[in-house]
Amino acid sequence: MTIPLEDIDLAASVAASEPWQAVVWNDPVNLMSYVTHVFRTHFGYSRERAEQLMLAVHHRGHAVVAEGARELMEMHVQAMHDYGLWATVRKGGE
Amino acid sequence: MTTHVLMELSVLEAAHLTDLVQQFADLMDESTGADALDDPAVARLVPDAYQDDADAAGEFRRLTQGDLLDRRRTDAARVLASLERDGVPLRVAEIDRADAESALVIELDADGTSAWLRTLTAVRLVLATRLGVTTDDDHDDRDPRFGVYNWLGFRLEGLLEALEG
Repeated sequence: MTIPLEDIDLAASVAASEPWQAVVWNDPVNLMSYVTHVFRTHFGYSRERAEQLMLAVHHRGHAVVAEGARELMEMHVQAMHDYGLWATVRKGGE
Repeated sequence: MTTHVLMELSVLEAAHLTDLVQQFADLMDESTGADALDDPAVARLVPDAYQDDADAAGEFRRLTQGDLLDRRRTDAARVLASLERDGVPLRVAEIDRADAESALVIELDADGTSAWLRTLTAVRLVLATRLGVTTDDDHDDRDPRFGVYNWLGFRLEGLLEALEG
């Protein structure tokens, strides 16, 4: 489930100061209660925060669910894919 | 949140679910080659992680796709094992009428519940692709083709409620 260490360029991740984002996109299949459950379980968000994010995904089409180092955002996105959610990584500020 | 869940299904329901999850497991077993993503239902399970950067998306895929599809297989195997009665898979054709409505109680620990949630979700994603669901408006509750899809959603919702309870 984790990205092999040798594939992570530690020097590059330290140098990259701009934050990256993990974005979850709306899809017509996943239940609202399931998306909330995933945000609570994976990120440890409170029920309130998880529901806010879920509603943002549902109504605005997507939501930034985490920000930080690129490698970390990739791990989050892989985890979202594992749960069946549609998620992408992007540079912050977009 | 609770982590330990008891789920009650009728024997007939469990047999149908066994059939469905077995079909999903078979699809995953066939989805190992380079052409696995030619099937849009399989592609939906491992979406592009970068929208505007094909190289980064390809690299991410190289690192994660195998693990993600392996998880679908191990999850499905776990669900199938929990659906067995006395160690034997339930088969729809072998169930007589008297037995069909009897209850099968399945006890799930935290890992088992997670495997169920992810598997029901993945099977729904595959069905949705087969049914051509791409927007919220493509789903009609009254359309009989959505019967199985809706039923999986009902079971998924029930599991989530049990977890919250």
